[in-house]
Amino acid sequence: MRWMACELHSHTYHSDGRQSLLELAQGARALGFDCVALTDHNTMTGLENKELVEQATGMTIISGMEWTTFYGHMVTIGLIEFVDWRPAGPRDIQAGIAKVHAHGGIAGLAHPFRIGSPMCTGCFWEFEIADWNAVDYIEVWSGTFPSIKTDNARAFRLWTEQLNAGYRIAATSGRDWHAQDRTEDPVSVTYLLLDDSEGSETERAVRALAAGRASVTMGPLVTLALRSETAVYGIGDRVPKQGQGNGFYAVATIDFQVRADKWAFPGAGYSLAVTSNLGVIGEISAHAAQSDYRFDIPGEGLLWMRAELKGTVRGVRTTIAFTNAIYLDPGEGV
Amino acid sequence: MKRLVLDAEGRVQPVCSKTHIAYSFHLDQPGGKLWIDFAYEPKNLEDREQSRARIAAGVENYTEPAQRELVMDRWESFLPLKNLITVSVDDPARHRGAGHRHDPEQLLLIGAEEASPGFVRGELPEGLWRVTLSLHAIVTESCSYRLRIHHEEA
Repeated sequence: MRWMACELHSHTYHSDGRQSLLELAQGARALGFDCVALTDHNTMTGLENKELVEQATGMTIISGMEWTTFYGHMVTIGLIEFVDWRPAGPRDIQAGIAKVHAHGGIAGLAHPFRIGSPMCTGCFWEFEIADWNAVDYIEVWSGTFPSIKTDNARAFRLWTEQLNAGYRIAATSGRDWHAQDRTEDPVSVTYLLLDDSEGSETERAVRALAAGRASVTMGPLVTLALRSETAVYGIGDRVPKQGQGNGFYAVATIDFQVRADKWAFPGAGYSLAVTSNLGVIGEISAHAAQSDYRFDIPGEGLLWMRAELKGTVRGVRTTIAFTNAIYLDPGEGV
Repeated sequence: MKRLVLDAEGRVQPVCSKTHIAYSFHLDQPGGKLWIDFAYEPKNLEDREQSRARIAAGVENYTEPAQRELVMDRWESFLPLKNLITVSVDDPARHRGAGHRHDPEQLLLIGAEEASPGFVRGELPEGLWRVTLSLHAIVTESCSYRLRIHHEEA
């Protein structure tokens, strides 16, 4: 298993971007990414020379398309055929997601609370979702320096509410990258944990996100494990009730070496928390010299847990990284 | 030789936002190239008061109460409000791509060996084709468009 640094939302001149796939892949490589998903608006023709670009840059390129509809934008990845967005009315997204799944893809809400029409047409999510089980992921961080944006904070809350309601939905970041403009802003990465099974890296990356094996960060990579005497559960895993026995505890790990030299938060004053449907389980100071942090797990009624790393970035106390959830089957914990 | 296969004009209003207009036409010969000449105008809503009212309505709809004053303080950052109509194409058997971009004048090509960005190259089959105009936003009181399609025979 290994973590792959992914940019999951990007565009080329095949829609309204101002870059070729090669320029996009080179730009992503220069920022320390291993993988980029091309999600052009309503077309997949930008992927035509995907293999050549992969060979030239060493990047993994995931095929995708952003459904750029009148009632919301939906990022879809992993499918290789066009699935028609045009028949989707405000109550039809369930059928649309089912078609994406039938074509081997997964679907996520893109920037669900970005201001909508006419300022940004269809950008605000207005589709009625009858069954949240069908939603694979929510892009809770959109754009650069995403953690300070109020529409992203709202998306993060939506994700948390759905986790609290018992849904198992992944969360990602996406730059919505249209051009190779330089930015001084922190850039967010979605790390996906690839399994060692057969299949292309693209297939394994999509499978990782579908399974919720994702961690999002503007800098260090934060991971989380729940340990008992007999088992270890990682991000995206489901802990059965009988696995939540004596000596059950959480270990959050911070890797400060990832994408070395591509980010720096001097004087961040890191604090690391494990949060859950019951609120904050524990919070402690974190330092670059220490990688592992142990948290005891108190109480009952836990449905999910995740780790969140906060720190001061450009004078603002903000979230720097968060993991996806580990899910706990309902029952008596500890 | 380029043969005109469709020449249409239309006028749409803000109520037409979030609608599609589809034109079907018959290609009686396979092969060759399809040229789609599409234009609409105006692109921008120039009236500041109308723009401000539309932006205020959007801010009311899409932002939380605590944010509204802050967002409206920078309402001019959303100017100019723009009409957006995009073109997509389907041949008798399959989807042939889309051009989701803001250019109000576009000359698009679909041929066996080449196609405009966003569109799918490949042989042109005989049969009923469809060009769809997707009206993502019409912000001006009226917006007129013209769609001309030529078939350049092989």
